[in-house]
Amino acid sequence: MRDEIRKIQALMEGAAYITDPAVSTAVHLALTLGKPLLVEGHAGVGKTEIAKVLARMLDTKLIRLQCYEGLDTATALYEWNYPKQLLRIKLEERETRSVAEKEADIFSAPFLLRRPLLQAITEDGRPPVLLVDELDRADLEFESFLLEVLSDFQVTIPEIGTISATHRPHVVLTSNRSRDLSDALRRRCLYLWIDYPSFDKEVRILKTKVPGINERLAGQIARAMQSLRRMKLAKVPGVAETLDWAAALAALHADHLDAELVRQTLGCILKEVEDVKRLEADLAAGRFSELVEG
Amino acid sequence: MTTAARPLPRDLVTATVRFCRLLRARGLAVTPVESRDALRTLELVDLGDRSEVHRALRTVLATRPEEFPAFDAAFEAFWGGRTAPVPTGGPAEGPAPLVEAHFPRARDGALDFAEWTDFGEGEGEPVGLPGLSDIEATLGKDFSGFGGGELEEVARLAAQLARRLATRRSRRLRPTRRRGRVDLRRTMRLSLTRGEPVELARRERKILKTKLVVLCDVSGSMDLYSRLLVQFLYALQNQLGRMETFVFSTRLCRITEELKGQPWTAALARLGDVREWSGGTKIGESLRAFLADWRRLLDRDTVVIVLSDGWDTGDPAILGEAMSRIRRRAGKVIWLNPLLGSPDYQPLTQGMTAALPHVDAFLPAHNLESLRALAGHLKP
Repeated sequence: MRDEIRKIQALMEGAAYITDPAVSTAVHLALTLGKPLLVEGHAGVGKTEIAKVLARMLDTKLIRLQCYEGLDTATALYEWNYPKQLLRIKLEERETRSVAEKEADIFSAPFLLRRPLLQAITEDGRPPVLLVDELDRADLEFESFLLEVLSDFQVTIPEIGTISATHRPHVVLTSNRSRDLSDALRRRCLYLWIDYPSFDKEVRILKTKVPGINERLAGQIARAMQSLRRMKLAKVPGVAETLDWAAALAALHADHLDAELVRQTLGCILKEVEDVKRLEADLAAGRFSELVEG
Repeated sequence: MTTAARPLPRDLVTATVRFCRLLRARGLAVTPVESRDALRTLELVDLGDRSEVHRALRTVLATRPEEFPAFDAAFEAFWGGRTAPVPTGGPAEGPAPLVEAHFPRARDGALDFAEWTDFGEGEGEPVGLPGLSDIEATLGKDFSGFGGGELEEVARLAAQLARRLATRRSRRLRPTRRRGRVDLRRTMRLSLTRGEPVELARRERKILKTKLVVLCDVSGSMDLYSRLLVQFLYALQNQLGRMETFVFSTRLCRITEELKGQPWTAALARLGDVREWSGGTKIGESLRAFLADWRRLLDRDTVVIVLSDGWDTGDPAILGEAMSRIRRRAGKVIWLNPLLGSPDYQPLTQGMTAALPHVDAFLPAHNLESLRALAGHLKP
């Protein structure tokens, strides 16, 4: 393994993100090739966390753009500060300046509200980390617009002109695959698929994120999660659920699992009623040991 | 975070370019840009660490987990040597089986599409013959009696349907003169020339096209109808931007790409490589495979159409469960059954009984008239 990759792995673990070679290799390549990193994977496997850790690791700012259906350029790129413009128009009502002059005035930089994308390319200081979160929720039009920004790293505002990037931000895009992203966008990015963690990785995550958890409980939780993910549930629990569960068990001062405790805390890991019913039936049938022993 | 680049040996450069060409031949979208990135990548990793080279190249050259199996196979085949499995696989390692996104090459005995008018018998499945006594006009004519030349009529119908689909509103806004939300930006512009912001510019939600997902049964019992229905799907696929088409008998195959953007005969030739035609039927398993790998296609803007006679040789419980999951995620679920055209058909097969509670509309699909009637149901 290249030292640089090992170093990134150490840095990420130092920032409390338990990683594996696939993640650290992808981050290494994204940093050196200067390409955006597209991270896909099931819900709750730590996709967003990569961008946060990257920002912490590089000691730079994290700029986040949360996507949703209907997201448009006014929210993502820039918007004019209308109240401020109105006020200025009102104040200058009696001035004799021409409309063109007034217009140039209120459509200038001080009246511009920088939204995340514009912020990311005009940020002073170090290149920030730009996180475009859950891109699959935005619509196709926004995706093509984003593609344009990511390839040119410049933005044209009709009233001002073209603003070029002062530097290229480190871009991380995440998607839950609720919709397939376009091939054009995929080609622009490096691709990282994050799978559910292995047993060992999950134990390490638990020990890092839940300080003071004992070896036995961490092992039992991780084992139970592995069994649950094999059960073909309607909503398969991710690492986020593992950590919620561990936190709940810690609050109950549990130092090991038993069937009753699992039943009480089922809501932390299962989010669909049929899944809950199924596991309750399994527990009632005395299959608790299968769950924690795999 | 810079890495001292070491120049790559010449033969490694040549080999990498050839590897990229191999990936392209296997269906991965590898362009010269990716080839260049691959070369740069090799300068950045430990060439003595095979799994690291594998991981790094896959990060650069694959764009979705569905491509991982093809990439891994090509990597094995090309760079040869040990078969150390890479520990970080795609969803193939997860619980669900992966549907092959690309078609397997035809095995022996692939169906000859030129003979598609010679109706053969399916594997012991009943062949329905409803509506044969229908009026002989093209519209009312049962597909089972169709010859060759009706493609034009089918295409025209598909175009009509596609237009009907383009009538929904998006959450994005566009300028309007009518009532709508106030558009501050345009209002401000107007007020510059007219003084006060009294004239409000407005925006309204723009029209959104419905997305379609079609799952077409092409098993033996559907033979009589498959040809016309696939022709219809072909025409529709080329009219609609957002449509995904799958066929299934015992397994599921995506045929969107096969249908798109080429003449019907060429599409037919490519479909010939699919080995799903005229086999037995496992509707439940096929729908479950769809959910495992293509669930992301389903949302509230999507209409799902299942085209099948409901003859299922699999477990009806699986079918019922899969249908209920599809129904929960999709905007609307329509089941088209060619047998429904027959006056004395009753949906009593186990499969049909299991599926019906999870269907928003249960409609016939035995002639062009019935497909035309479909338009009214295509809004989520």
